Amino acid sequence: MASEKVDAVIAGGGASGLLLAAKLGQAGKKVVVLEMGPAIGLDDLVSSMIWSRRLKWGGVPVISEGKNPVGHNFQSGWGLGGAAMHQFANWPRLHPEDFRVKSQYGRGLDWPVSYEELRPYYDRIQKEVGLSGDHLAEVWRPAGDPYPMPPMKWTRQADLLAEGFKKAGLRTAPMPVAINSVPYNGRPACIYDGWCEAGCPTGALVNPQVTYLPVAKKAGVEVRADSYVTRVLVNAKGDRATGVEYYDKEKRRQVQLADVVVLAAFSASNPRILLNSKTDQHPEGLANSSGLVGKYVTAHITFSAFGLFEENTENHIGMSSAFGMSQDGYVKDSHPGFGSYTWTIGVAMKPNDVLGFANARPQLFGNALHDFMKRAARGLARIGVQAEELPDRENRVVLADRKDEFGFPLARVIHGLDANSMDLFNHIKAEGERIMKATRAKETWSSPAPGLAHFLGGTIMGKTAKDSVTDGYGRTHDVGNLFITGGGLFPTIGGVHPTFTLHAHTLRTADWMAKNWGAIAG
Amino acid sequence: MTHEHRRRVLKGAALGALAYTVGGAELLLSPREALAQDIPLKVLTSDERAALEALGDALLPGARDAGLAHYIDQQLSVPPGEALLMARAVGVMPPYANFYRAGLAALDAASHKAHGAKFAALAQEKRSAFVEEFRQKVPDGWSGPPSPFFYFVSRADAVDVFYGTVEGFARLGIPYMPHIAPLKRW
Repeated sequence: MASEKVDAVIAGGGASGLLLAAKLGQAGKKVVVLEMGPAIGLDDLVSSMIWSRRLKWGGVPVISEGKNPVGHNFQSGWGLGGAAMHQFANWPRLHPEDFRVKSQYGRGLDWPVSYEELRPYYDRIQKEVGLSGDHLAEVWRPAGDPYPMPPMKWTRQADLLAEGFKKAGLRTAPMPVAINSVPYNGRPACIYDGWCEAGCPTGALVNPQVTYLPVAKKAGVEVRADSYVTRVLVNAKGDRATGVEYYDKEKRRQVQLADVVVLAAFSASNPRILLNSKTDQHPEGLANSSGLVGKYVTAHITFSAFGLFEENTENHIGMSSAFGMSQDGYVKDSHPGFGSYTWTIGVAMKPNDVLGFANARPQLFGNALHDFMKRAARGLARIGVQAEELPDRENRVVLADRKDEFGFPLARVIHGLDANSMDLFNHIKAEGERIMKATRAKETWSSPAPGLAHFLGGTIMGKTAKDSVTDGYGRTHDVGNLFITGGGLFPTIGGVHPTFTLHAHTLRTADWMAKNWGAIAG
Repeated sequence: MTHEHRRRVLKGAALGALAYTVGGAELLLSPREALAQDIPLKVLTSDERAALEALGDALLPGARDAGLAHYIDQQLSVPPGEALLMARAVGVMPPYANFYRAGLAALDAASHKAHGAKFAALAQEKRSAFVEEFRQKVPDGWSGPPSPFFYFVSRADAVDVFYGTVEGFARLGIPYMPHIAPLKRW
């Protein structure tokens, strides 16, 4: 069944899809958003780490493999608002050199966009959605407008950890966060109860349900939940997208025709859709003349160090984001292991789930675990890191032999860390242990092996059709009215959390699309 | 799940309750209440329940009485997209029942090979020693999901039912501070 043709159809109702939908809707375009997950609302955000798993991926399985598999489900989202519904809201900017790693250092890849080009969009986004931070204390921060809100309050945990950084000779600053430290744009201030990962129903934390979804709806955008996009459809010549095929809640095949098609699904889903959209003209998958669809999957290398203090660290108070940061290790070639990293200082913790008390000591069980839980509830503190993994073509999304119920192959993600990443991890581990030992903690320890956070790449942007899937606006080189948004576009990922950059880049694309609509839509 | 039903279940979530069907009627109960009322399990067999409860109590004493088996069983009876299990978050391939069945069967098979009895029949000290062994490396006779991963997920389940609740927070002396307020403690 084919629906009435619209100006744009967007596959994915997450952060980038809803931002783009809102802006195109405001520009007068008729837009339909197809979201695979259910139409959750703010009143579905139960304050429980058990119930928080409803916000994690619950769709068609994604197979993760390789030496260091990327944890797809934990990183992605399920339901209207996508992964941003459970984001921690750490929002530092990328640095100028992150956009030119290859040309400056001879490693990795370059973006087709510079920091200077993206800066106005960072500034606009932080004003539109509200960020809290201290731009002067962030001595590493690239040029940009001051944050519209003062930084979040620090608890005793943050103070105790910052003391360790100072003694270890590292500078600290408040983490810039997409959380209201004071009321902003009609949304209330945070009350520091630490349930961010379970979803923030108050509106203090930036999630699409309180930012761009209301704007999109007001602009007339139609959002259809429970709509599973399987393929992009093209014309007979194969040079123009005509719409998408999707399956509705009743498992009926539907077609949404559109002048412009945007893939704003998650970084594993966009390449899967493209690879499953192969035609006679595109036998290796749509928009894949470069052979790079699915390639260069990247993730941030993570590490945690813990300390148990005698005094109460108040670790139940705060946010899922960090209180503080240090980017003294951001210069990529200033230490063993090439790449940037950002320390995160202190975080509100709950007893259970992946990042709860119990998993700080995963080897403990039985009564020893009970004993630890009691001590952790009073005196545990944590620092973490987001470190840069360089793009590696062998880290990739491919189609699996296993298929979904409609006969489309699943995504299979293969990922491993190379020797450089391990060198960087080992440097970070040594530094983290030194920092924690410099605190007043009576007992310190750290994670023995690298973890991974975020799921980026797979449909990278670049300057030419030979070395990338899209241009700097996410427009595919091969099909002029087919766009991709989100973190899958990032050729390199820097040493910071991606959500702020994802917003800024999508806003830039939205502006460009609105200004050049005639040429794009044909 | 209808919109009205989802609302009802979510309201129950604030109580720490899950939906159990008894005699054709649906009850919203906490796992501990479901255990106390001896609600029949839908998915797990009696052998699987015995192994799960014994493992849960070895991983975190008290998990059995907190309703671990009823929690897991209820979660295995709902569609994967509605499940609340740690297995979902860490990428276990649905249906999740396959993971638990294979893991519990492996636990019993390996226990039998090493100690001549199923895990639930082992003395407490032997259970602990066996957990210490299989959390680090796959033991002889284990043919399910890798034992260190099964340990990780099962331990997380035990922590969920014992400490991930309003009652569990109170045990640790930390305030629950919900946005969506529970109406009573578990």
